[in-house]
Amino acid sequence: MTTANEVLSAMQTAFPGAILESRIESERRLWAIIDYTQIVEVCKFMHDKLNFDHYSGCAGVDWVTKNEMEVVEFLASHGTHQVVAFLKVKTQRDNPSVKSLTGLYWNANWYERETWEMYGINFENHPELFPLLLPDELVGSWPWRKDFKGYPDVTTGQRAVERLNPSGHTEYIFSPTPAEIEAQTIIQERPKYPTFKEREESELKSDSEMIMHMGPQHAIVPGPFLLDVLVEGERVKKAFLDVGYIHKGIEKIMENRTWLQGITYTDRLCYLASLSNNECYCGVVERLLGITPPERAQYIRVILEELSRIQSHLLGTGEFLTLLGSATYSPFLYMIIDREDILALIESVTGARITHTFVRFGGVRNDLPEGFIDKCRSVLKKVESRTNEYIALFDQDPIYHLRMDNVGIITTEDAKLMGVAGPPLRASGVPYDMRKEDPILVYPDLDFKVISRTKGDASARIEVRLDEILESLRIIEQCLDRIPAGPIRTEEKIPKKVPAGEAYYRVEDPRGEMGIYAISDGTDKPYRVKVRGPVYAYFQALPPLLEGVYIADVVAIAGSMDACTAEVDR
Amino acid sequence: MLKRVFPTKALRWTLKTATHGTEVTRLYPEVMIELPEVERGIHELDATLCIGCASCARVCPNSCVEMVPYVFGNPLKNKKMIFPQVDYGRCMFCGLCVDECPVECLKMGKKVTMTGWTRQDIIKGPYELAVKKYTEEESRKLAEEAKRVAAEKKKAAAAKSEGTAKKAAGDGAPAKKAANEVEAGVSEKAAIKEVAAKEEVVENKTKEGGAS
Repeated sequence: MTTANEVLSAMQTAFPGAILESRIESERRLWAIIDYTQIVEVCKFMHDKLNFDHYSGCAGVDWVTKNEMEVVEFLASHGTHQVVAFLKVKTQRDNPSVKSLTGLYWNANWYERETWEMYGINFENHPELFPLLLPDELVGSWPWRKDFKGYPDVTTGQRAVERLNPSGHTEYIFSPTPAEIEAQTIIQERPKYPTFKEREESELKSDSEMIMHMGPQHAIVPGPFLLDVLVEGERVKKAFLDVGYIHKGIEKIMENRTWLQGITYTDRLCYLASLSNNECYCGVVERLLGITPPERAQYIRVILEELSRIQSHLLGTGEFLTLLGSATYSPFLYMIIDREDILALIESVTGARITHTFVRFGGVRNDLPEGFIDKCRSVLKKVESRTNEYIALFDQDPIYHLRMDNVGIITTEDAKLMGVAGPPLRASGVPYDMRKEDPILVYPDLDFKVISRTKGDASARIEVRLDEILESLRIIEQCLDRIPAGPIRTEEKIPKKVPAGEAYYRVEDPRGEMGIYAISDGTDKPYRVKVRGPVYAYFQALPPLLEGVYIADVVAIAGSMDACTAEVDR
Repeated sequence: MLKRVFPTKALRWTLKTATHGTEVTRLYPEVMIELPEVERGIHELDATLCIGCASCARVCPNSCVEMVPYVFGNPLKNKKMIFPQVDYGRCMFCGLCVDECPVECLKMGKKVTMTGWTRQDIIKGPYELAVKKYTEEESRKLAEEAKRVAAEKKKAAAAKSEGTAKKAAGDGAPAKKAANEVEAGVSEKAAIKEVAAKEEVVENKTKEGGAS
């Protein structure tokens, strides 16, 4: 097994001058500041020699007092070893620029685009540095920088002024502040780039091709996003994805809320996985505070997270099969009935149905109610028999097989390259699960296996989800047997101010690897919170996956990924 | 050929529902599902316990809790007699206010439905939220008691300050110190009052701005 120490020493021998600073947090966490000129070479060495084949994301940080910007690259491996390396590249604050890793890792594309549009950090040699989440008007004002004034302007309290433009549509004008007018800083050079429409229309080559819009409001999509497919006859030649319709800027909002208030925002990242998101955020703060929750609290967290995984998979599968129009058999409402039982169980503990705000720093909010264990056992029994029924039912349905088999195949190499996460990754033959890779809470004590398939098509993804339900049931049963008595919160006092430092924490969301990177500067508010969501990771793999398929299969492929737009846009 | 019939039956039903109080909207499922004990619904305030510390207002991520005056509380504990008022147009039922309450006077109950014709209707003050409060007579007695206690305290403080002044008269240096302290205290209080007044003005201004 490779440890962080070995990785660091290998890097130091290969690139003696490149590593400016390094810190080893634990066996699995390596932090290093890399020289600006050598970042691509260092990453190439890590990718080729040290098996860092998983690009997990990047985060921009604005150090306004030090007058510098920082890009943190998260590198990990698909199961070869468990080290996560955080490579930082520093750059000047005025005209910041770093080298792009898109040549090495295909999926660095979106992460770097997002960092560019939010912080204005230029990525050299990036193939398509276009805005991703922001509307066109906001690009160029770099909203996530610490000196962004925002609107309504805090100095005047003035809101946007509404007025009609010549074509009769309403426009909102954000008037500049008197100070800005005096200083003449309002005239900004907005970067010039082709819009989404221009980009997709430039691909039209002949009259036989046309662009078909699916979204932003469409029956098949789980939330508002635009999927445009360029078709020739029945075949899709190219697909374009436009996201950011419900961009809420949660990461920026969390910088302006206290650490405790931040929990409520993690609920709203994705309502199907709110408990995992709670867990991820509270985990990272616990790591910064250096506390561990008591054992009973850990068991409660595991039970509820597994229950929420089951309900997410049930809804995801049921909804998808309905959208697919499986005319002969659609188990949607049956799955909703099962999900209702599980939601009732979760509600009896947390007090809310979907946005729980349940996990707390160093524990949980409520204890299990009386009679929960017996009720849970009976529900689990029912869900188990029903899930087995679904599996048998899909197996014998010829239409299901016609629509799902050999559709949207992701090969193992592609899955690794495109950074796909969660069930789609495991369906492609990569048994990569955070519960085993980066174990948290009491998961190391529990006996369970990682479900994986090798086919990598749409039906394999559904199979993985349904089998994961059964596996989760097994985990919950073990927890119910073992759960000890005791306190549900740590006895240490949780301070309002979190000590300065940085931490990264990963959990297995129902949809895959969910990571939160938090920086504290010693105050009661986070300095930076970066959410690395699983759906964001496999959403960008959708356009290449749709190339060359039939229009009828677009829904089967996009739906089998089980997307959640709220989490992509954040 | 289609025969045109005057829709007497449908009309009769319409007239009947319009004139008589016939039930047209029905609850579905017909029996409300039983909510668990920990359900986070509309708040329940125990006005006899509240100390008016405003922790709930401070912790609220949406700042939907505001402290407003109310009479049926305990003036001995709650000096300013301010109690939480919740704007349910903004509340997201996260329950942080309940966790933060040091005397556990705020709880979230099983009532989850709320309706109103205007936004003002779903802003619920302590008059709507309080499930436990003092009667008029009790609160009047408590107010008198509080007045008496305050007067006593004032007397005691005055006596104390006289005592210190007398003591101070004996030797010069500490007298000055004590006087300074008293002055500092007074000026501090004045400064706080000033700041509060300013804040109020600012708040009013922003509110006006928002309305316009």
